[in-house]
Amino acid sequence: MDLSKEKGLIEKAKKDPEAFGKIFDENYPKIFGYILKRVANLEIAQDVTSETFLKALKNLWKFRWRNIPFSAWLYRIANNEIANFFRKRKYKSVSLEKIPEPIAVSNPSIEIIEAQEKLKAHKDFLALQEKILRLPLKYQEVISLRFFEKKKIREIAEILGKKEGTIKSLLRRGLEKLREKFNATF
Amino acid sequence: MEEENLIKKLEEASLPEIEIPSHKRKLKRVLLNKYFREKRNWEIFNILRKVVPVGAIVIILIILISNNLIFPQYSLAKAKEIAIRDPQIKELIEKGAIIKDVKILQDKAYVLVQPLAGAEMEAEEIKTGLKTEGEFLGALAEVDLKEKKVSRIEKVTPQFSPLAEGEKEKAKEIAENNPEIRKIIPEEAEITKIMPVPFSQLRLIKEKNSVRVVPEQIKEKRVRIIYELNKNQWEGEIDLIEEKVGGVKFLGETEE
Repeated sequence: MDLSKEKGLIEKAKKDPEAFGKIFDENYPKIFGYILKRVANLEIAQDVTSETFLKALKNLWKFRWRNIPFSAWLYRIANNEIANFFRKRKYKSVSLEKIPEPIAVSNPSIEIIEAQEKLKAHKDFLALQEKILRLPLKYQEVISLRFFEKKKIREIAEILGKKEGTIKSLLRRGLEKLREKFNATF
Repeated sequence: MEEENLIKKLEEASLPEIEIPSHKRKLKRVLLNKYFREKRNWEIFNILRKVVPVGAIVIILIILISNNLIFPQYSLAKAKEIAIRDPQIKELIEKGAIIKDVKILQDKAYVLVQPLAGAEMEAEEIKTGLKTEGEFLGALAEVDLKEKKVSRIEKVTPQFSPLAEGEKEKAKEIAENNPEIRKIIPEEAEITKIMPVPFSQLRLIKEKNSVRVVPEQIKEKRVRIIYELNKNQWEGEIDLIEEKVGGVKFLGETEE
């Protein structure tokens, strides 16, 4: 979606829940995917994603357009929620259980088992992520956004609200630290 | 490990798109159902923030809360909550409808429930109370705020804008030139009816002593053309604004 279209949709979403629904549909896959790559756990990823979108809805009317994609704002909220999760390690999950599933088109538990299988099959990724998770959060964020989300330095700067130079040095130092973790293993 | 190797490893690391559709659906419904409450909270906060200085806010809040005025039972959120507790409304929401609009009139609230745009709901699917034939456009619930219950629910009457002769001709012309219609509907089939399609997106407006369902202020003009040949019927839907065919379907045989 181009920026001017997205700007219009966000203004509409402040008045119309359906427009908000469209924004959700557009952004859910990438935000869920990003959180899953960061936490490498399906249940936690679901909870953190729920919390991210609930925060986004709560703050939707505060959102001011800055000519950058709306997803950058969502990534930033997601980062805060991931940080909250790691800080507390005990996440108060949003209960979606109270909301009944409409006439079942799929079985949620089968979906989770299948997704779990898919995740487990990517051992290389999980091994790498396990090392990244040992780094301080500021390095985890830049490394994940740069390599897993394939974001440019400028985009990472927009998401994290930092200067491009800061991102470059965070990335450099993060890689150094990650390399040390690998070398310590061998 | 060398830095280049590490970068290569990171660049090559991938995870396929993993989705849990049931989580997505549930979360979307939770968000859409929280939408009006959050909007209302923001509006109240915004008004207070702009109009009243901080010290005064504290004093007014204390007075209003103690008098149960700031969160009156007539609030939109309260009306919505009462509506959602009603079994019929709950059933509609479970089937994919959302609360589209709420208006308060004295001690009554009016809650408009509609299917999400693009999601057609057949009225016959709705088990309780609203069982009628045809496309389900929405329901209007009257909430008694004193009794804290839904006092009446009625199916929304379709809203049409009449078709001018010129519009009928234009619809015919679009249909005649459409390859999909020409492919599906036999050339010998005759047009038996041309009728307007009801507005799909509705809202509520408050009048002096009543609340009325009106179409959203969007440009929408759709026409349904019914074709017939040897008791078989087809339907073509034409969008007169976009000047295109929205869909063609076989309706079955006409009843004797």
